[in-house]
Amino acid sequence: MSTQAANPLATEFELELDKPLTAYWLAIVRVLTGWWFFHAGITKIIENGLNFSYGPAYMQQMTGTALGPIPVWMGNNLGWLIAPGVPLFETLIGLALIAGALTRLAALGGVFFMVLFWVGNAGFGHGLVNSDLMGLMLFMTVLVLGAGRYYGLDAIIEKTKLVEQNPKLRYILG
Amino acid sequence: MTDTNDIVDRIAMGLSAALFTLGIVVLGIVETLAGKPFGAAPLTNDAGEVIATPMIDPTIRTGLVIAGLLVLALWGLYKVATPLVEETTTQREMTAD
Repeated sequence: MSTQAANPLATEFELELDKPLTAYWLAIVRVLTGWWFFHAGITKIIENGLNFSYGPAYMQQMTGTALGPIPVWMGNNLGWLIAPGVPLFETLIGLALIAGALTRLAALGGVFFMVLFWVGNAGFGHGLVNSDLMGLMLFMTVLVLGAGRYYGLDAIIEKTKLVEQNPKLRYILG
Repeated sequence: MTDTNDIVDRIAMGLSAALFTLGIVVLGIVETLAGKPFGAAPLTNDAGEVIATPMIDPTIRTGLVIAGLLVLALWGLYKVATPLVEETTTQREMTAD
C-alpha cells in the first residue's frame, strides 16, 4: 500500500480522474461543448460563408465595458479578421473539442470568445452568472482538466515522440 | 526552482480565486442586500423607463472576473516560459503493521 506524499491536497476525498465515470463525464462535457461551438460556426458558414459582417458591427457597439476600448478598436480595425474568423474559429474550436485534439488550445480560444460574448451581450438581468458565463466555465473546465485525454485524440497525440521530446506541447494538448 | 514555482502557483491560484469570488459572489451579496434590482442590470417598467439601477456598476464586477482570467493567462504564459519541473511525486511505503 502506498500514499502520495508529495501532494498536500491529496486526500481520500480527492477527485480521482482515472475512474471510469469521471473520464466518461469529462468526455461528454468536452464533446457537447464542442458541438455547441461547431454548430454556431458551421451554420454561420452555411448562411453567409466566411463573411460574418455582424461580427465587426457587434464589437463596434461594445462601448463602456470592462474591456475598455479594446472591442471597439477591434471592430473598427480588425473587421478583415473578425468577419471570416468568427465562423471559422467557432467551427474549428468545435471540431477540436469534439475530436479531443489540441484541446487546451481550442478551449483557450473558446474562453476568449466567451469573454467577449459575456461582456458584449451583458445579459445581467438575473445577475452576472448567466449562460454566457456558464459557457466560459465549461471551456475553462475542459482546459484545466485536459479533457482531450479522455476518449480524445490528445490521448494518442501525447504519446507520440514529438510530444515526448517537447513535453511543453502538453500545454496546448490534453 | 520548485519553491519559486510553488509560490507563483499559490499566488496565481489565490489571486484569481479571490478576484472571481469578489466579482461574482461578494459583490453579488452586496447587490442583493442593496435591494432592487437584484440582478446587475437596470430595472425598467412597462414603459421602458429605468426605475432602479444596480448599486455596483456591472463593469466593475465583470472587470474583476476578467482580471482573474488574466491572472490565470499570465500564469499559463509563465509556465510555458519556465523549465518544466520534473515529476516530484514520491511513493512512501506503508507497512501493514
